[in-house]
Amino acid sequence: MTRLLLLLAALVIAMPAAAQRELTIVAGGGQLQDHMRRTLFESFTQRTGVPLRDSSYDYNVGPIRAMVQARNVTWDVVMVEAPDLIRGCEDGIFERIDWSVVNREKFLPGGTTTCGAGAIGWGVSVFRDVSRNPNGPSNWQEFWDVQRFPGRRTLRRGARMTLEIALMGDGVPAAEVYRVLATPAGQQRAFAALDRIRPHLHFWTGGQQPIELVNAGEVAFAVGFVGRTANAMRGGARFDLNWDTLLFSFDYWAVVRGSPHAANAMRLIEHITNPEPLRALSEVWPINPVTAAVANDPAVRGRNPLMMSNHQHRGLQIDTEFWLDQGPELEQRFAAWLNR
Amino acid sequence: MAETLPRTRAALAAWDGEGLPPEAAFAAMAQELGAALEERRIGDVSQRLNFERTGMRALLLRTARAAPRLVAPYAESLPALDPRWAQPETWQLIRRAGGPTTSLYLLRALDLTRMPDGAIRAVDPDQALFRTLFLRTLWVSVIVTLACVLLGWPVAAAIASLRPPWSSTALLLVLVPFWSSVMVRSTAWFALLQREGPVNDLLLLLGVVDAPLQLVGTRFAVLLATIHVLLPVAILPMVGVMTRLDPRHLQAAASLGAGPWLRFRRVWFPLSLPGVLAGAAMTFLLAVGFYITPALVGGERDQLVAWFIAQYLNRDVNWGMAAALSVYLLAMAGAVMALLRVLTGGMPVGARG
Repeated sequence: MTRLLLLLAALVIAMPAAAQRELTIVAGGGQLQDHMRRTLFESFTQRTGVPLRDSSYDYNVGPIRAMVQARNVTWDVVMVEAPDLIRGCEDGIFERIDWSVVNREKFLPGGTTTCGAGAIGWGVSVFRDVSRNPNGPSNWQEFWDVQRFPGRRTLRRGARMTLEIALMGDGVPAAEVYRVLATPAGQQRAFAALDRIRPHLHFWTGGQQPIELVNAGEVAFAVGFVGRTANAMRGGARFDLNWDTLLFSFDYWAVVRGSPHAANAMRLIEHITNPEPLRALSEVWPINPVTAAVANDPAVRGRNPLMMSNHQHRGLQIDTEFWLDQGPELEQRFAAWLNR
Repeated sequence: MAETLPRTRAALAAWDGEGLPPEAAFAAMAQELGAALEERRIGDVSQRLNFERTGMRALLLRTARAAPRLVAPYAESLPALDPRWAQPETWQLIRRAGGPTTSLYLLRALDLTRMPDGAIRAVDPDQALFRTLFLRTLWVSVIVTLACVLLGWPVAAAIASLRPPWSSTALLLVLVPFWSSVMVRSTAWFALLQREGPVNDLLLLLGVVDAPLQLVGTRFAVLLATIHVLLPVAILPMVGVMTRLDPRHLQAAASLGAGPWLRFRRVWFPLSLPGVLAGAAMTFLLAVGFYITPALVGGERDQLVAWFIAQYLNRDVNWGMAAALSVYLLAMAGAVMALLRVLTGGMPVGARG
């Protein structure tokens, strides 16, 4: 009991110290973040003298909401997905970006929102191991053709992206997908398409799983994050990555509301979205920048044939607003479908 | 709702619920939505109502964005913006959500929903999920508990009968896996069971199967891995009770002429039962909350309630739904524990032998 009290006392004493913690930036971790640290984060400290600490999270925004509600904000700048950014902005979980500090003009169209500045693009597409499967589907209708291309397929476990893919597999053109999916008949059609090839489907939950599943021969064809697939290919994996099946979106930098470092957080966002540090990052990692000067730079594009910017025009941009409105119902219906 | 739309809520509370509400409610709604958007606290209300009826978020945001341009009378300008404002159901739904408590999440967590007229019905079969989920969680937990007790009892008995230093060595062999991470042990099972993993290689080599078996992503894999992970939890309380059994009980039984089998059946086994119950109780309580292992080695039909709680808590930020599922899970665990106690005639779980 005494020990517990001492522990509590220590915690109370330690709490004011949190106010003096360093500016903290949080992203998705992994090798990308190691490269970001060397090219983006350290150059910010060099230029401004502001000490910076970086940490990683799994894109679960629950903890961010909890820290805002508890008024104990320990993260300042966070990389977030588009739906979480928009919801969090409406809920006052993120600060509005100060566009007098961050130059709004430098981003690609759609690269900024009230509370977010574009960080990187990401996407999913079909890939396969060519040493196991010399031939594979080149579009979604062929992906759905289990006679012509036998073998198990893996998709992300969740309605978002999967239902779009199911409709395209059923022959709906990409431009029509969200219009069709907004109707009850379209939703029925998407689930019916999933039903048709259900025995051939597997669903993954973690971003590295598609690569492991393909490497282990558990599945013949996988829908996985293009960044990770491209990285595996540079590491020697004999994958074929199909760009005609690309679905993409952007991740954004956002400032957690109530951050004691909000002013420096804005300066940090301005710095890490500037062309100069992003070019340095693009030399060591095939990022997909949202800063126009880098995204459209022929030298950057030429250096990385596997960079998503080169292929974005062939893909479908995920409709964030659609999923914010329809997501809860469709996700539950998808979960119910999976469990049937 | 009370914080974001207080005047709307008051105006709707005064409304009799028939037809459309008075102009005051329309006006309050337009003004308060506009203010909520500006002050960025519209998210909670829009998510809450959207969960009740899909499309409400879009309606509220659209109205909030248009609010500065809307003019009185609002009972005309709101329906002109979106016809849903002319439907009594929309207002009834908002009025019901304005109450201090809601049964929405507790109903949804049992695949039930409230109709606009207030009647409670089962949700559309396309949306039904949670009843299956709770039954599955109960079933998996019971199987895992039974298996852990049946497999763990002989191990515990063997450890208890060993002399030092062998008894502590054997105990260490149970403790080392107990101390190692659940994540690591579950991932190890994934590696063992995969298509080109050691288990399939061995089966192919022995000629038991012709083609690799699909083991990962099956209920079998979930049960196997969960039993392995929880086995030490079952063994340790049993060892604790068995090593403390007073050998004089057995000596007394022997002196009264009982043979080895009778001594075991009438004396030693009943005295070890509190340990068995403690092991079973701990295994069951941990099993109902398991989610890492099913997530790693299970398939789509093998996820348990805990996985969905984590999903609602972290990913969907729907804490109402996470809380409702947790309440039922806790009630289920409590009910099973109570049942166990009644069935054993109130025997103290984990008491010294």
